[in-house]
Amino acid sequence: MAATPNPTPVEIFESGDSALRVVASSADTEANWSTVHSLAQWLETAGADGVHGAVPTYDSLLVEFDPGVTSARQVRAFVLLGLRQLEHVGAPARTPREFSVPVVYGGEYGPDLERVAEHEQLSVEEIIALHTAKSYVIRCLGAPAGSPMMDGPDFPLPVPRLKDPRLSVPAGAVAVAGRQAVIAPAVAPGGWCVIGQTPLTVLDAASEPLVPYLPGDLLRFRQIQPEEFADYAGRKLEAAR
Amino acid sequence: MSGSLIIQQPGNSVVTDLGRFRGPRFGLPVNGALDQFSARAANILAANADNAPLLEITALDFRMQASTDLLIAVTGAPLTLTVGGRECPQWEPVSVRAGETVAVRRITGGLRSYLAVHGSVEAPALLGSCAPDTVIGFGLRLSEGTELTTSRSVGPIRQPYFDLPLFRLGLTRPEFSSRAVIDVTDGPDVEEFGDTAELLFNTEYTVSARSNHIGLRLGGALPERQSSAEVLSRGVPVGAIEVPSREELLVLHRGRGVTAGYPVLAVVTSRSLDTLAQARPGHTIIFRKTTVPEATAKHRAAIRELENLRSRVSTIFALLGIGKDPGWPELIPAAGS
Repeated sequence: MAATPNPTPVEIFESGDSALRVVASSADTEANWSTVHSLAQWLETAGADGVHGAVPTYDSLLVEFDPGVTSARQVRAFVLLGLRQLEHVGAPARTPREFSVPVVYGGEYGPDLERVAEHEQLSVEEIIALHTAKSYVIRCLGAPAGSPMMDGPDFPLPVPRLKDPRLSVPAGAVAVAGRQAVIAPAVAPGGWCVIGQTPLTVLDAASEPLVPYLPGDLLRFRQIQPEEFADYAGRKLEAAR
Repeated sequence: MSGSLIIQQPGNSVVTDLGRFRGPRFGLPVNGALDQFSARAANILAANADNAPLLEITALDFRMQASTDLLIAVTGAPLTLTVGGRECPQWEPVSVRAGETVAVRRITGGLRSYLAVHGSVEAPALLGSCAPDTVIGFGLRLSEGTELTTSRSVGPIRQPYFDLPLFRLGLTRPEFSSRAVIDVTDGPDVEEFGDTAELLFNTEYTVSARSNHIGLRLGGALPERQSSAEVLSRGVPVGAIEVPSREELLVLHRGRGVTAGYPVLAVVTSRSLDTLAQARPGHTIIFRKTTVPEATAKHRAAIRELENLRSRVSTIFALLGIGKDPGWPELIPAAGS
């Protein structure tokens, strides 16, 4: 994660009696992301009684706490203290690792590929080419189960979510929505458009950490053919370097 | 001396605790006992740490057999508790002798009950919690023949007066009703719903059968978001109320996905999340607006009540020698009896 000598200003919103939402709302999305992730790291390292932890995403941070021990008012003060600290010392830098993810696109592996192509007014091949064209920064770990949430491919239009979310999306599903991209580490319901599937095992509940990547790491998709799918079965997603 | 028990009829039961509080930062929901007050109370009544692993029994009848002498406490939704065929009180410690069967039947009015065993039960942990996570397939779901080990066995506590209960600790029990009033605070995105946000407070909602530990789905008049701009995924709190479809209101509970891209209309208070944990399909939900300071005060009042209970339990248990040296405590019959 890049150092953040100057965190962006934030807004803090009440989110019930046990959480606050902190939003970095500058025009610089990179700085917003860096701010909320540095702040999450600071909150975790500093630690405060009754603060369970923080969930940073793109421009926002959910700080969860025990209202029996602390309060929204105290946690707000703690967050502001963290921001002042970051202004002075910045956040530690980390060298990103790179992950390469084989994907079978379309067909039973990616039931929404054609729908996405139609919506974008592109061919299926062009969608795949755009999806595999570059490395994505993993912005955060999301639902379900530590999904790597990434800035999406350079499609012309944002991808709408499904009107009727699926009750079950398989592990390894490679999906897009809005301007985001993701891999589903575990079977779960989902409203994103599934364009492909990776045969790799992303989540290993028997080991800590459960997923091999952290926010800030890089991930790149590459196309494989359906007949290659079985060759990868049982293999875990691992950093290339 | 350690103890043990064997599950005879699991119904729908798991071993859980108060939750995986380190989970959300890794994208895992907190999970844990849905009715936190009842779970804490059960553990306190069994002289355990609040967060000790205990059994969560949902809706269906349950039966287990004690292999050693045990001390248990059952809280949560109203039900019929029998030990060795004798009916025993809920929300009080109960002495169980080796070989006796503990049966939980007819869970009514609510949905979830909690059974704590003095000395707790052993269960595998992930990120410091044994709470099951259905999405990643982690946790101890009980089945027929599952044997659970407790760290302590408690000799039977004899009651010289057969008809009197052993304990009367007098905790104020939560109310269970088919019409639940649920307190909520304004969500961070309430303005996105414009005037339709008020519908939340003018509508009687019905709990759908599709509800679970991830979220409750409620039928009724739905507030409508006034914009359709895509929202970047962000962390959503337990208790978040969203309107993801035109069919139902979604109230997220402890199994909720940590991030979502739907605006948060309102957030259910900690106290009312316990009430929602007991709402059965078909029950009526009425929302009432409150503030964060009021919600915090109510939560703390409940915690104080549990702390008072803890001090009463520890006084009585110290007198009986429970949790200290193993022994065979016996109440001394009153003079003349």
